[in-house]
Amino acid sequence: MTALDNSGGMADCVAIPLPGELMTEGRTAPAGPTVQRMLVGAKLRRLRTEMGLSREEAGEAIRASEWKIHRLENGQVGFKERDIIDLLRLYQVTDPTEVAEFVSLAREANTPGWWQHYGDVLPQWFRTYVDLESAAALIRTYEGQFIPGLLQTDAYMRAVVQGAHLDESAEELGRRVRLRMARQQLLTREQPPRVWAVIDEAALRRPVGGREVMAGQLERLIEATKLPNVTLQVLPFEVGAHAAMLGAFSILRFADRELPDVVYLEHLTNAVYLDKRDEAERYLDVMESICDESEPPARTVELLEKLLDEV
Amino acid sequence: MPDDWTTRINTGVPNPARIYDYFLGGKDNFPADREVAEQVVAIAPVALDIVEDNRAFLRRVVRFLAGEAGIRQFVDLGSGLPTQGNVHEIAQATAPDARVVYVDNDAMVVTHSRALLAGRNTVAIEADLRDPDSVMEHPEVRQLIDFDQPIALLLLAILHFVPDDEDPFGVVARFRDALPAGSYLAISHGTRDIPARTDMSPEAMAEMGAKVERLYQLTTASLVTRTRARVERFFDGFDLLDPGLVEIQLWRPDESEPLLPGGFYGGVGRKR
Repeated sequence: MTALDNSGGMADCVAIPLPGELMTEGRTAPAGPTVQRMLVGAKLRRLRTEMGLSREEAGEAIRASEWKIHRLENGQVGFKERDIIDLLRLYQVTDPTEVAEFVSLAREANTPGWWQHYGDVLPQWFRTYVDLESAAALIRTYEGQFIPGLLQTDAYMRAVVQGAHLDESAEELGRRVRLRMARQQLLTREQPPRVWAVIDEAALRRPVGGREVMAGQLERLIEATKLPNVTLQVLPFEVGAHAAMLGAFSILRFADRELPDVVYLEHLTNAVYLDKRDEAERYLDVMESICDESEPPARTVELLEKLLDEV
Repeated sequence: MPDDWTTRINTGVPNPARIYDYFLGGKDNFPADREVAEQVVAIAPVALDIVEDNRAFLRRVVRFLAGEAGIRQFVDLGSGLPTQGNVHEIAQATAPDARVVYVDNDAMVVTHSRALLAGRNTVAIEADLRDPDSVMEHPEVRQLIDFDQPIALLLLAILHFVPDDEDPFGVVARFRDALPAGSYLAISHGTRDIPARTDMSPEAMAEMGAKVERLYQLTTASLVTRTRARVERFFDGFDLLDPGLVEIQLWRPDESEPLLPGGFYGGVGRKR
């Protein structure tokens, strides 16, 4: 498995045959198992702390370790119905309706996300991202080298993949592109997430795939700014040093108040998800700073058109 | 990375807009904001209700202005971080051609407003309401707002961040003089006045108010509550509409909303 970068990249592009009907998936707003698990976990944590119980004490109630509770509360593992019921009893949640709702939520958390249809197409660590992304209400992303994946054209994406020397057949490349397009459907589904992207001028000037491909990509970006749920800002060279020079990252925010923001950082062979508040907030702070330093969104089309003339 | 990367947006200093976001259950706040916010809630748990009530007041006021009053131009001064049910969404739901200007002097608020609120007939500008000319002469305001047509000026939960030595009455008067007759002014404002329905003694109320004001001194804008008579002075040159300047919960309430008045005064006036 390999990847360059989620949004720029190829993580969702490991070549394995795709069933054809998949292109229609992902149009509605599925919560996806990762997020459901986080939600159930967050609720369990709140109930436990309200009772003033330690993780160890909670663990005893379900014949499990403190570590197991830790993982349950962080949404890292699926739930057994019996465990949920025993924990709720311990937390004095006895209203049958409330218990039933909880159990049903936990059951949903154990069902597969839409991307599961892709079988082994996605590396495991990237499946989580696809799941989180499709459940997010707000996706904030900074890209220094690439056009964000959700906004890439077919041709641009092919050029990125070729540039990475992944050494694969035309057929495999075609499958990668289809998977990317499936992800992009979230932009135009009902109740789409808000996407707020900051793109470095470097990513806009590098003629990936040559002039024609890059011109097509810039036109695609201009189109994207017309979507009511997409905001693009350009971080110009003239800003000089800035807070995000270490590289690309995304912050996913969920509508549910109990769910924390999740920061996504991608590396060549794996990814890091940060949902501890203090860590995530460092990235939020950086994002605020570069959004302020970037050109305001109202100038984006003008800047893109200028770049288009210069391609 | 050193912390001083951030220049205009300092997340290390408590900020009233982000504290308000915290009260509303938002996620655009930082430890410094939450520290103050949690202390405010500890002293005055009612703060959490008041901010919700203030949002509800805003909804009712904007719905009235866009509907019954027929207003098509809104200037929201000290608009704060975007949340659910922003002015242009409420106004344009009633009057799709309503035009809205969001004004704030906070860099993070402006960044978010430009990204998340601006669009057709809606702009967000960075300006300080204490300098009315900088708002009214702003090119984007001039482009969107016709000063010969009635305008609704919204000053919700913001004038209590302008202390007397910054001449809040002069500021509002300067805006008033630039508005054509038939324009509207909507204000909500924090107060220490005793709510009609409470078992708190005047002393306890005063002490609570003083403590909250002291906490806000730690933030980028200190809080100044005012009495009913003082808040009413902002409406000089306007006719207050029924029911006058009242606790926000009592201003033309929807039947579904419970009435536990207190904390903020609110009113709407029409320019003579």
